[in-house]
Formats: sequence, structure tokens, C-alpha cells
Amino acid sequence: MSKNIIIVYLSLFAFLGLAMLFPTNTTSVKINYPDYFPKPNYNFNKNPLTQEGIDLGRKLFYDPILSKDSSISCSNCHLSYTAFTHVDHRLSHGVNDSIGNRNSPSLMNLAWHTSFMWDGAVNHLDVQALAPISHPAEMDEDLNNIIRKLKKTSYPSMFYQAFGNSKITGENLLKAISQFELTLISCNSKYDSVMAKTATFSLQEDNGYKLYKNKCSSCHTEPLFTNNQFENNGLEIDSVLNDLGRYRITKNPNDSLKFKIPTLRNIEFSFPYMHDGRYQTITEVLNHYTNNITPSNTLAKQLKNPIKLTSNEKVDLTAFLLTLTDKNFLFNKEHNFPYHLFFPKTKDK
Amino acid sequence: MKFFKLLIIGILLSNGLISQNINDLIVTINPLLNNHILILEKENTEGITITKLKFYLTNFSLTKNDKTVWSEKNSYHLIDISTPSTLNLKFKIPSNITFDKIYFLFGTDSLTNVSGVLGGDLDPTKGMYWAWNSGYINFKLEGKSKNTPFEFHLGGYSPSTVQEVKLNMNKNNTKIYFDVANFLNQIDLAKQHKLMSPGKEAQRLSKIAGKLFYTNE
Repeated sequence: MSKNIIIVYLSLFAFLGLAMLFPTNTTSVKINYPDYFPKPNYNFNKNPLTQEGIDLGRKLFYDPILSKDSSISCSNCHLSYTAFTHVDHRLSHGVNDSIGNRNSPSLMNLAWHTSFMWDGAVNHLDVQALAPISHPAEMDEDLNNIIRKLKKTSYPSMFYQAFGNSKITGENLLKAISQFELTLISCNSKYDSVMAKTATFSLQEDNGYKLYKNKCSSCHTEPLFTNNQFENNGLEIDSVLNDLGRYRITKNPNDSLKFKIPTLRNIEFSFPYMHDGRYQTITEVLNHYTNNITPSNTLAKQLKNPIKLTSNEKVDLTAFLLTLTDKNFLFNKEHNFPYHLFFPKTKDK
Repeated sequence: MKFFKLLIIGILLSNGLISQNINDLIVTINPLLNNHILILEKENTEGITITKLKFYLTNFSLTKNDKTVWSEKNSYHLIDISTPSTLNLKFKIPSNITFDKIYFLFGTDSLTNVSGVLGGDLDPTKGMYWAWNSGYINFKLEGKSKNTPFEFHLGGYSPSTVQEVKLNMNKNNTKIYFDVANFLNQIDLAKQHKLMSPGKEAQRLSKIAGKLFYTNE
């Protein structure tokens, strides 16, 4: 009799051991992008996307619990309807009404980025969220404290569903945020339809496309509309912010006043423009490139001679830039505030 | 039932077989302050108090006549003097191995620094990751000398701050010593008492710190 009990115990032990070898049931998700996109820079093998992981990341992205006083979430400065940037604010806002010193960048096609932040301070998407979380003028919070707060909520079960472990770690928290962010892919603009040969540019747009290729594409390179490099685009330095950009990170004088080249995708909705949000309209941006370049040692070589555009050409170029608007992306229900995750009993609106 | 019993015995036996001929090698890290055991928050006779000492030791291997005879996989250890269990490194090595040297890195290699978020001892919750400028802090030393507080956070991968360490060691003597006073003695605290960013200075101080490990072999 006692022998049988021992056998039962041992078999339970053995089966538990076996069960631990199998991951929990997760629904794997594959991202879709056009064949004219390059291979993503992000290594999905190290953080395989699952619906559970994406849901968890999406909830975290919209949850002010990530900030010190639970007042702001990632979405405060990265709104889905405006290509995940903060329209109408030149500089990002943080806890206690503090104001940061840079314009919050748009979030899209992040799997193809090779660095993050305007100065490239962050070398990997997974660790990007640490920067705004800990910045005193942004969320001003500590990762360990976030985990302490999350433990008291329903999050542990979401972590279990996503990662097979209800213990919340910094690694899994950050990987979940990455998973959601990696789904923010913009590849359904009119430009994309033209590339896929399911639409054609108007004459004006086509003329704008030629101007773009001639004058803009060496930095804002197709199809992602950035070459992921850093350049000084001739902005006069703001004497209050005194922001030297990439130099702060590399301490290399050749990097002074260089900032990461942003994508032009969804430019119609991602105003204001530049690292300090100084320009409100595309017209102001184009006027900067034709009339306003401030010379300096580190100025991009493409801007040493001012770009020449007639006012008609500016209109055509703008018409092309508007073909980069992707309403499927901007108004994608999978991207906005997840009611069903915060209020599971109500219907997803 | 008989088959079942055999299966269970089989599973247990195979576990046993895997662990056969494997021994634990305990390597201890012994932080010192001027040849005395370092105790946090305790002022020594020279007026030095250490409040925090944390560092990464990674990529452990054992060599015999300069040939690697064993190396640890996923070898990342955060030594934190406030958590005494982290001072005892437990390595599982085949019992027939003999060695005369231990090799490890003081800090994290550059690949680790560009691989995104990692877990275990490398999890960013360990407080050893720079949020504002990606990269691990390899070495944290905080305290005060008389009334001058000091804070050294050394790390970064460009330029690299990781240091290779090779020490004589055998099975009968596995104590590694690290005297913090030898680091502080090489710095003029009146001029420099704080460093918290990567760069050439972090590299210079890491080189100093990396040379402080020793064994009595």
C-alpha cells in the first residue's frame, strides 16, 4: 500500500517535470510586410510574437501604472491616431507637468530600426522603454517598483499566459512591450499601393515622387523613408535646449548636432516636426531646407548647397508626401486603447 | 503497473546518470578593504566606508597548461556584496578534470550589451543597466572616504570596459580576493569622486579594477 503511494508521488513528480518542459498554449503571430521591405533588423527568434504577449504589451503601453504617480502611460506621448507621436506638443510632457527636451518620435516599423531615440542612445527596441520609464521628466519610475505594483493586479496571470510564468521579470515586461510595438507596421499607404501596382500616382504626386527621389531620398530612403543614420540638417541650435544630439552619446565632435533621421511615413499626421518640434507644417519644413540651412562643420553633405525647389515643386512634393499617409495604420483597432483588456467584462468598442 | 514502475525508475535513473561524475566546484569571491574582510556600511581605520559593491563576472572557464578544460554556458554572475549568496559561485564540473588556472571576464562583453533585454542576473531590474544610454554597468562602487562621498559606475561597450582576468587556481584553493582599497588608492578622490557614464575614463578605471583580482596560488 505504502509502495503504491510512493509510486503515485513519484509519478506525479515525473509528470510535473514533464509538464514544465512544455510551454503554455500561446497563439503565435507572424508580422506581415511587403516584399519590397528589407529583412527586419529585430531578431524575432529571441522574442517570438504571440497574441498573449502582444495583448500584454498593449495593455502595458496604455497603462499609467508604468509612471511614478500613475498619471501617464506610453500612449500619453505616443497616440495611435497620430502615428504614435504627440501632436500639438513641441516637447514631450511627463509626470508633475514636467516638460522634456525633445519631441516624442512617431512609432512605426520599429523592427527595421537600428537604434532608438533622437540621439540613438538606445541600441535595441527591448531596452528602449527603460529610457522614458526612468527619465525624471517623463515617467520617473523604477522598474522594480513597477513590478511591485503590477504584482497586486491581474497582470501576473497575463504574464503567465504570455510567458508561461506568472513571476514578473524586467525581461518579460520589456519583451511584452516590444511585442506590441513590433506590430505597429505601416505599409498600407497610397505609396504602398502604387509599389504593389494596385494604384497609380496622380500627375502631381508623380512629379512630387521624382522630386523626392532627387532631393530627399538619400537620407529618407525608400521604402522605410529613413536610412537609420544620424545627420545635422542645418537647424539653428536652440539656445535654451542647447541640444547637441548624437554628440552626447558618442562624445565624438563629428557627431555634434546630429539627430536620427525620422521616417516620412505618415508625415501628414506626425507634426510637429524636428527633434525639438519647432516646425508645425510641412511647408515650414520645406522652407527650412530651401532657405534656412545653418552652416556648421557637421552639416550633412547633401545640404552644403541649399536644396532648390520652386513653390510649385513644393506643392507637388507635398502631394507626394501625403501619399505616405496610411489610414489603415492610423485607425487600426488593434493599435488603440484596449478596452477589453482593461475592462474584460465590457465589449471592445 | 509494472511498466509504469519501470518508466518511473527509468526517469529517475536517467536523472541520476546525467548527474553522475559531476562535482560542484565552489569558487568564492572575497571582497576586501585594505586586507580586511569588507563589511558594508562599516568605516575602517582610514575613514573609508563602502555602501555598495556590485559587479559582473562572466564567461568562466578553467584551463590546464593553457588549454581550456571546462567552460560554463550562459556564464553571467552578478556579485553583490549585500547578498552574500552571490559571493559563492557554484560550478558543475566533471570530477576527472584537473586545472591550474581560472579565466573569466570582469564585466559583460559587447555582444551582451547589444542583445536587447536579457534575464537572470542580466535582468534590468538588477539595477545594472543604463536606461539613458544602452549598456550594462559592469562595476558599481559607492561609499565615502572621510567625508567625501564617491560613486563609480563603470561600464559601456563602446569603448569596451570588459577586462580579461586569469588567475592561478586548483581544486584545493578556490578563493578569489578583490581589494577595493587598491582601486581607491589609484584614484585621487579629491579630484575625481564620481563617474557614471561610459567612455574613455570608464575604460581607464575598468582597467585598474580588472587587475585587482588575485588568488593565493
